Amino acid sequence: MKSLQEFENFYNQTLFREMEVLDDRRKQVVKRLFSIIGITAGAMLICIFSAIQFVDPSRDLHFILIFVGPVVSLLLGVLFWGIWARDKRFVADFKRDLIERIIHFISPDLSYQPSNFIGVDSFERSRLFLTNIDRYNGDDYVFGKIEKTQLWFSEVKAEYKTTTSKGQTQWHTIFKGLFFVADFNKHFEGSTVVLPNRLGRGALARILQKVNLSRREKLVKLEDPEFNKYFVVYGDDQIESRYVLSTSLMQRLIDFRKKYGNPLYISFVSSFLFLAIGYTKDLFEPSYFKSLTRFETVKPYFEDISLAVGIVEDLNLNTRIWTKQ
Amino acid sequence: MYGILIALGVLILFTIIAYNRFIMLRNMADKAFSTIDVMAKKRYDLIPNLVAAVQKYMEHERGTLTDITAMRARAMQGNLSPDERVQLENQITRSLGNIQVAVENYPELKASENFKQLQASLNEVEEQLSASRRAYNAAVIDYNNAVQMFPSNVFALVFQFRSRDLLETPENERQNVDVKKLFSN
Repeated sequence: MKSLQEFENFYNQTLFREMEVLDDRRKQVVKRLFSIIGITAGAMLICIFSAIQFVDPSRDLHFILIFVGPVVSLLLGVLFWGIWARDKRFVADFKRDLIERIIHFISPDLSYQPSNFIGVDSFERSRLFLTNIDRYNGDDYVFGKIEKTQLWFSEVKAEYKTTTSKGQTQWHTIFKGLFFVADFNKHFEGSTVVLPNRLGRGALARILQKVNLSRREKLVKLEDPEFNKYFVVYGDDQIESRYVLSTSLMQRLIDFRKKYGNPLYISFVSSFLFLAIGYTKDLFEPSYFKSLTRFETVKPYFEDISLAVGIVEDLNLNTRIWTKQ
Repeated sequence: MYGILIALGVLILFTIIAYNRFIMLRNMADKAFSTIDVMAKKRYDLIPNLVAAVQKYMEHERGTLTDITAMRARAMQGNLSPDERVQLENQITRSLGNIQVAVENYPELKASENFKQLQASLNEVEEQLSASRRAYNAAVIDYNNAVQMFPSNVFALVFQFRSRDLLETPENERQNVDVKKLFSN
């Protein structure tokens, strides 16, 4: 696995020059944005000013200039931004020139498809989120092999809808963030689901955790108190769940949870590992107001991708000492 | 009069619930224990193959190999008390660990496809054995809690449900394999 220091060297030696070109494009986009904001604001002010100064309030033109004028200029401004100023190819080039380069730097065996994503069937197969999905999409699909472990991940967003009494449709997020799938290093049949423990470890929490009506899996009480502080586990088979969650894997999950610092959703279904990491920000998207020629701007992209690819190492998935190769 | 009848009814209901709960918890522990048995048998099946695969190479560890074969035979006879059985299983675990460490000295053996497969199967069985031990312990803790905690302990006393011992996981022993001892055999 490549370290941050190695990436910084790679950035300084190779990536920096390419980023200068890309950053010029970014500056152009920002410049166009500001000029459009300026022109729109100017047009709006002229409309209002001329209406007040030069037009007789009793005539229709006054109304047009003071109300319709600013609205029309605003709409034109947005239209211009959409058609001319935004430079649609900038995002595509950003992903090709930066994100893909970082991915290949981390491992040349990984492939990247910016507009593709993990399918909804995989998402549902994970049994992590049982709410019915009404809308599902994503992007930034990465897949390939790290030593012996096949992996797939992408950004996804799953939502369900509700309708209010007035007939309005409202969308609610089920999950938004990074969804990771890997071929697990042991054979098993059923499912074991590891969810964040939101109730704590009291007696009442235990009862509530046990009576989880939405799940077909039963509560699995594990012996590690620190693990139980972070996670609650449900499984089809008490013994199989413990076979999957060996004492060393439990420790690795605790460490990973601490490293990442936010709630984690992990499941093991039919010899596959699924891991969902929630993010509020959009992953792998350019930020228009930060210079790409600064390492600090590029660093988070490397860190996010490293975190995902690093799961293989963090959870020791390349250790193939069992019958599954 | 009605009051007494209601109280009696409630008491009978509680007794039935408590009794069934004990049976359920005990059955869960028994089920987990029988899985340990299944896994242990799976391991017995692997031992002759392992011995056959390594004895050609491991001249110095003859003693260990004879020992483990003898232990397997004893365990399979089946006339052991649970405590003896647990001890014997732990010894087998230790011996298997020792053999796997000793293999490091025989690169040719270590590289053979046959041995690699055997080792993978053994690791798998060990991990499954450890999982079933942990599952058994979790089931026994639930059962013991019911036996020892008030008010269910009253019913436990009446129906003579007794607490069970937990199995000690021999993993620590396995990690501290004494190589010197192995070679002095």
